Amino acid sequence: MKKLLLTLAAACLLASAAFAEKKEIHIVSINDMHAKIENFPQFAAVIDSLRAIYPELLIFSAGDNRTGEPLNDLYEIPAYPMVALMNQIGFDATTLGNHEYDGGQANLARLINLSNFPYLACNIIPDPKWGINVLPYKMFFVNELRVAVIGATQVGPAGHPDTHPDNCTEILFTPVEETLQEYKWLRDESDVVILLTHIGYEEDVELSKYVPWADLIIGGHSHTQVAGGEFHNDVMITQDINRLERVTFITLTVENGKVIDRKAKNIEIAGYPKQNKIVAEMVRYFSDNPAFQRQLATLTAPMTTYEELGCMMTDAWRVETGSDIAFTNTGGVRYDYLPAGPFTVSDVLRLDPFGNTLVQFSLTGQELKDMLIATHYADIEYGFPKVSGILCNVILDKKDNKKIKDLKITNPDGSKFDLKKTYQVVTNSYTAAIAKSPRKDQGRDLNRTTAAVIQEYLEHQGTLDYTGVNRVTQSVSAK
Amino acid sequence: MNVTVNRTKVEIFEGAQAQHAVLRYLVHRHLAQSWLKRGCIQDAYGHQIGLDAPLREGQIIKFKIR
Repeated sequence: MKKLLLTLAAACLLASAAFAEKKEIHIVSINDMHAKIENFPQFAAVIDSLRAIYPELLIFSAGDNRTGEPLNDLYEIPAYPMVALMNQIGFDATTLGNHEYDGGQANLARLINLSNFPYLACNIIPDPKWGINVLPYKMFFVNELRVAVIGATQVGPAGHPDTHPDNCTEILFTPVEETLQEYKWLRDESDVVILLTHIGYEEDVELSKYVPWADLIIGGHSHTQVAGGEFHNDVMITQDINRLERVTFITLTVENGKVIDRKAKNIEIAGYPKQNKIVAEMVRYFSDNPAFQRQLATLTAPMTTYEELGCMMTDAWRVETGSDIAFTNTGGVRYDYLPAGPFTVSDVLRLDPFGNTLVQFSLTGQELKDMLIATHYADIEYGFPKVSGILCNVILDKKDNKKIKDLKITNPDGSKFDLKKTYQVVTNSYTAAIAKSPRKDQGRDLNRTTAAVIQEYLEHQGTLDYTGVNRVTQSVSAK
Repeated sequence: MNVTVNRTKVEIFEGAQAQHAVLRYLVHRHLAQSWLKRGCIQDAYGHQIGLDAPLREGQIIKFKIR
């Protein structure tokens, strides 16, 4: 009798193993949304449709949720609209992209506390005094399966993420690959292991060599459009192009505690025909932001020329970055009249709407002269750049008045400008790209938007009067 | 930093995005900057990347007119 019972029990065990249930996990992954809030109503509608079929759908962001849209980045609590929208949609986790640090440590801590989802990054150690609540990983229990998600944030060559160094002075960053190995034990505790990284596609491919214990890398940072999921070293890697154009829908099939199938496909968001009405209403609310009417300074007299406004812009960049000289392509100054009275956030965003960042160089006087001339030719439709910290006399060719025959630079007091001396020069990222001229220093991005720096300058000035300010004069050569 | 656009070496500022390297490439080739909006940028593997994709030293990208 005992033998019979044992045989029956063994048969039952074998049968249950043979008919072990296959279970699926469904995930929507997104990366580098960069605050493209106008695509959120469509994104929410896609999520609604998927949730109707897969109620336990997981939604993960691989970082850089913010930065790139003034409606979000200049909100009263900077970047709060994205947090509110992600809360409404019901994100399950995000990792920290390099731009998550753009608002500084206090802002990051505040945004995390306002979020209904965790921020995952195993390779950061913030000073506890900031209250930056980041988890290295989180275990999700979905469809009776254990899903471990480990976050990793980008660390640049300087030892911190690609943001202004002042934004993360009291956060310690450790190497991604090495730190991830400390969480290998999660493999034994989980049915599925997912790495939520913000390090770039090529880096994810390299990383896959060292994490064969992971099933999936949901990546970000390089804005790479991967077609569905790619397999490298038997790890599936996904990533989408930025600004919520597409998301990836991932299905993992698990049997006996092992992932036996991995599928992924891209879903278009930008052209999706449906919208979630609540999210659409939230986007409308955030777009009609009264904070944009906030007065930054008072103009005691109207600004009436591109020259006056360009001088103000470049003064802002020079003063706020502690540089000697600043200049901008004239096409970067978007209007030529502003009445006396309040100078608002909205006025700044109309004046400088491109989202450019500041680039700083160490240039000799001669290199600066060459760069100004190169900018003139690259932006020839608009003419010679606007400057701060110098005066320019542009001598145009008599036969071709768009051609510069000579450029004479003087100091603001009219004294001789030293062409051999080295100056700290700042301009916008667009000008830095188009000005092809000989220079030893190609410059470095300061990770500060030009518009944000203008706002700081206006707030510091309080009142402004640029009546008649003109630093660039033009004459025609005699010959 | 140095990056390569369509097999042309381009020297550009640290922290530049893909669009900046392509703009420099267009200026170098005496092509209109407006082409930037009409083209597609790809990484060395042939994946599409965004205009504001960050670049790193030595990266290879391709710019194709659509």
